[in-house]
Amino acid sequence: MSRPAKLHLLFLLASCLAAAQDLKEFEKRVTEFTLANGLHFIVLERHQAPVVSFHTYVNAGSVDDPEGKTGLAHMFEHMAFKGTETIGTKNWPEEKKALAAIEEVYDRLEQEQRKGPRADPAKIAAIEEELKAAIEKANSYVIPNQFPTIIEENGGVGMNAGTSLDSTEYFYNLPANRVELWFLLESQRFLHPVFREFYKERDVVMEERRMRLESDPQQKLIQCLLSSAFEAHPYRRLSVGWASDIQSLRVRDAEQFYKTYYVPANITIGIVGDVDPKQARALADKYFTRLPARPLPPIIHTVEPPQEGPRLAQIQSASQPFEVIGYKRPDQYDKDDPVFDVVSSLLAGGRTGIIYKDMVRDKQISLAAGASASFPAAKYPNLFLFYVFPSLGHTVQDNEQALSQLLEQFKNEKVDAESLARVKTKTRASLIHRLDSNSGLAELLTSFYVNYGDWRKVFTSLDDVDKVTADDVQRVARKYFVSNTRTTAFDFQPQPVGEKHAQTPAQTGEKQ
Amino acid sequence: MRRTLTIALLLAGTLRAQAPSAAVAIPSYKDLKYPQLKPIKIPDVATFTLPNGIRLYLLENHELPLVRGSALVRTGNLFDPADKVGLATMTGMVMRTGGTKDKSGDQLDVQLENIAASVETGIDESFGTASFSCLKENTDEVLGVFHDVLTTPGLRQDKIDLAKTELRSSISRRNDEPHAIAEREFDSIVYGKDTPYGWQMEYATLDRIARPDVVQFYERYFFPANVMLAVIGDFSITEMKAKLENRFADWTVKQPPVPPFPPVTAKPAPGIFVATKTDVTQAFLTLGHLGGELRDKDFPALEEMADILGGGFHSRLFQRVRTQLGYAYDVSAAWAANYDHPGLFELSSSTKSASATATIKVFQQEIEKIRTSEVASEELESAKQRVANSFVFNFDTLSKTLNRVLRYDYYGYPRDFIHQYQRGIEAVTRQDVMRAARERVNPKILTVVAVGNPEEFGTPLATLGLPVTSIDLTIPEPASAPKPAPAKTDAASIERGKKLLERVQQAAGGADQLAAVKDVTETLNLSMATMAPGMKVTQTNIWVAPDQFRQESQLPFGKIVVYSDGKSGWMSTPQGIRPLPPPQLQQVREELFRIYFSLLLSDRMADRTVSSSEPGTIDISDQAGNSVRLIIDGKTGLPAKEVYASQQPTGQPGSMEEVFDEFEQAGGIKVPKKITVNQAGKTFAEMTITEYKINSGIKNEDISKKP
Repeated sequence: MSRPAKLHLLFLLASCLAAAQDLKEFEKRVTEFTLANGLHFIVLERHQAPVVSFHTYVNAGSVDDPEGKTGLAHMFEHMAFKGTETIGTKNWPEEKKALAAIEEVYDRLEQEQRKGPRADPAKIAAIEEELKAAIEKANSYVIPNQFPTIIEENGGVGMNAGTSLDSTEYFYNLPANRVELWFLLESQRFLHPVFREFYKERDVVMEERRMRLESDPQQKLIQCLLSSAFEAHPYRRLSVGWASDIQSLRVRDAEQFYKTYYVPANITIGIVGDVDPKQARALADKYFTRLPARPLPPIIHTVEPPQEGPRLAQIQSASQPFEVIGYKRPDQYDKDDPVFDVVSSLLAGGRTGIIYKDMVRDKQISLAAGASASFPAAKYPNLFLFYVFPSLGHTVQDNEQALSQLLEQFKNEKVDAESLARVKTKTRASLIHRLDSNSGLAELLTSFYVNYGDWRKVFTSLDDVDKVTADDVQRVARKYFVSNTRTTAFDFQPQPVGEKHAQTPAQTGEKQ
Repeated sequence: MRRTLTIALLLAGTLRAQAPSAAVAIPSYKDLKYPQLKPIKIPDVATFTLPNGIRLYLLENHELPLVRGSALVRTGNLFDPADKVGLATMTGMVMRTGGTKDKSGDQLDVQLENIAASVETGIDESFGTASFSCLKENTDEVLGVFHDVLTTPGLRQDKIDLAKTELRSSISRRNDEPHAIAEREFDSIVYGKDTPYGWQMEYATLDRIARPDVVQFYERYFFPANVMLAVIGDFSITEMKAKLENRFADWTVKQPPVPPFPPVTAKPAPGIFVATKTDVTQAFLTLGHLGGELRDKDFPALEEMADILGGGFHSRLFQRVRTQLGYAYDVSAAWAANYDHPGLFELSSSTKSASATATIKVFQQEIEKIRTSEVASEELESAKQRVANSFVFNFDTLSKTLNRVLRYDYYGYPRDFIHQYQRGIEAVTRQDVMRAARERVNPKILTVVAVGNPEEFGTPLATLGLPVTSIDLTIPEPASAPKPAPAKTDAASIERGKKLLERVQQAAGGADQLAAVKDVTETLNLSMATMAPGMKVTQTNIWVAPDQFRQESQLPFGKIVVYSDGKSGWMSTPQGIRPLPPPQLQQVREELFRIYFSLLLSDRMADRTVSSSEPGTIDISDQAGNSVRLIIDGKTGLPAKEVYASQQPTGQPGSMEEVFDEFEQAGGIKVPKKITVNQAGKTFAEMTITEYKINSGIKNEDISKKP
């Protein structure tokens, strides 16, 4: 037996044992329970330091934004920091009246606006003034940002939340003696959310959009790619939503979203650190059982129609060139899901990735080039994504050509045993590295539970990767890296017209 | 799963029976009582000094089968020579990528990734690092690689070249992200553009770096006495110490102690500095001035000040700029002190362009407020609680403890500095905050950097009452192939030039043959680096002596025609005809100057100077400011290359080089059939002339006809 193959087998044996060890060892420290209302808890003990990490994973994200109300899931995430009937207000009964008054005025405004060309501009101006006054009145009862301030004052660190296409997640860390505070605050924020400062927060979200998307050439290009690749499915847009939609969101939209999606059975909570699972259970009962059970929300039923030809999109930009290419691929539940991860690592992992070696290191036509196995998210059919940053003096065209050639070669030549073994070793080791962070673990456990029904898949997914063969890799590459299901997007710089040798916007890259 | 659920339900049922949760009122968060926080065990880091001077810091961590190590080396890009900014960065990159004495970097890549290990190197502003990470079972192998990378790096030329390519590319991209521009320009202006703290890498500085520089930099700073090595993981300290001592016993090189880092010599730079970027919808703002060090007596008070001002959800700036005004998503203030040199006091935010000026005003108001009135006691108490209650997070991982000990030792801080800091925070009073703000925050020297589109800023920045200066973001042109040295025009050089040109004329077919050329029609195929691969353009260039020129280019989407008589001209595209704009006219004039047939007869033109400064080269220039250097092929006597300056599309002048090849006869004259145009050392275009028609009788009327 040749040396590399022998090492491969030996290591696999050793690592299989190690994995089993880790999983058994973990299981001893995990306590899981589900409340009657459906809320699921995963508690992992890790007593290295008197600190605890909390992670609330809501199985709803921007894919669930209604048409015309994109950005809603993200908007609600912002609202979840605004407090409750008892936190963030100087006088709830008065504030409640004032908030209702805002909605009444806004309804009248919309009624007038809906008259279209027959709307009375003077009337609209007057109602807008009324609206401003109503908002100011409601604001006068607000203690701004009290909810996050309480967390920070009690030693909370790493507090944040994120809305992605498939999920919305809330997390922070506390000193271990203050776990009860988390139970109180987190249960209250999802039991009695108050949508105060909603219309001001719309402006904040607009600024976030301007910062993250409109002023960022790469994000703009990615949005362009997604819209071109997906005609029907909500993966066609980034989470922040369309600007015009954001600016029309109403409080009742957020309330409806919350009622539909923030149901206990749709939420999973991870608690990792210096925690006593019995105490956690008691606190969960004390604070979270009062959340009423509600039916599970609808699942997205829109299926992206098959792509029957290559697509191309371009953006004129003053920035240096950048290109992204996406090939359609199935969702994370497909039996070939682990193969895509292996393919991604073979092509773009570390300094031994095929793309890195050829384009960055040897040809030096790319400053950076890589891949992502699932983009923009994985719950539904998505994209296997490539990206290239041409190096100075090179173009997206020559980068794209080189990438094309590499993919053809990859499809034609089966991957060698050493490279395959390397990917599997790296996958296993990378998990081990992730096991020493409370917050990282809380995220991992909840995510795998929600997506696969069992946190143990964090470990068993390694076995799925181990089973991937060179034949699998070649089969998947041949099946999915085909031009008809490819979408390309790149940016190009405006060329000064009248140059001696080329009076042409040279970067149109028109495909013959 | 199902079993757990059933048990959970049972338990829930039981609990409910005992204590119906509906009856239990939810306490207010204020009423919660917390037990004492368990004291955290801070382990002792074992420290040793090896015989060769390496200082070891070891800590055991048996939770996971991993070993990680990091060497801290006293060096930094603060030690870059001013004309070679980027040397430290490059050295840090190539130490790893360039392999070791025995193995190339590529071989290390495979070896390390096969066992999911890593060895990395890098040099930052005031320290260099070499680190490794591996699974426990591979420790010995990885220590071997780590040792070799640190003590005998190969620093191979091909990876120096690759690093240069990468760094050049990153320079070309440094104006793509507005937030990065704002940060960089602010640092640069406040610290001083020409100081080690404020200068940046440029194409020119990279070009001057060669392998000897990298080797010298490595050798000067990487020696045992200058290295602190920290290792943490699943091992025993005695074993690891022995391993490292044995492994590094062969590293005995000595160097003089490293000099102190250069001091900060910043001068206040008050005013508003605007960098125009038109493809953004926000203005990216940074405001502030030089700050202080972590060991300043007033650092705790200043940190509380910055926290109250802009340290998060609770802060004044957050409340006002984000929550009340809705101007921004991100807004913050920080007194970012450094260990050994003044840091930056910095307020920043990004807001829609129309609110740029208004946001700066709010910054100014809040600075004034915190300097002139004491913060509220609730604000200060709140800030202190944040520090006190989250203090445990400074120690929640063993790595944090190890890194802290290393850092404090590196910068000469006492080991218990973090506790001194904690006590300092506890002791801060409202008066302290105001006094510190008054003494250390100076509104008169505020530097404001704004990146965005000033035309959309709403109220003009000038209304803020501060001088407004433009920042030029243009990236200085890459240094290219050697620019033609200024031509010597003394009598001897002119004599030499004339003689050499005569030789060229002979080689090309004779001066009289050349003089008899009245018109030339060239048909050629053109391919350019910027074109889509496989795309070719055909071109027809017609020259009617002395200065009439017509160029027709056939492109996939249509034809483009350019005509000029040297004084003016027009251009025709599928969109229509228009006069030749000045930059294009200038280019045509330069082309006319360099027409092969007349260029070689430059000694017959009164307004031209022909001279030779270096053997085998001829410099030709005219009164209009055109100039070119011909490099002559010693064997054939024909021109091999032409080097000249030309306006680039970017608007910058640059050096171009044309290489002539495959000379053939056409009408009794030797002409090149292949011309390669190079720019900045890279191929820009290739022309293959398929036909030369000489003296076909074309007249000006023929070529000046508009399509």
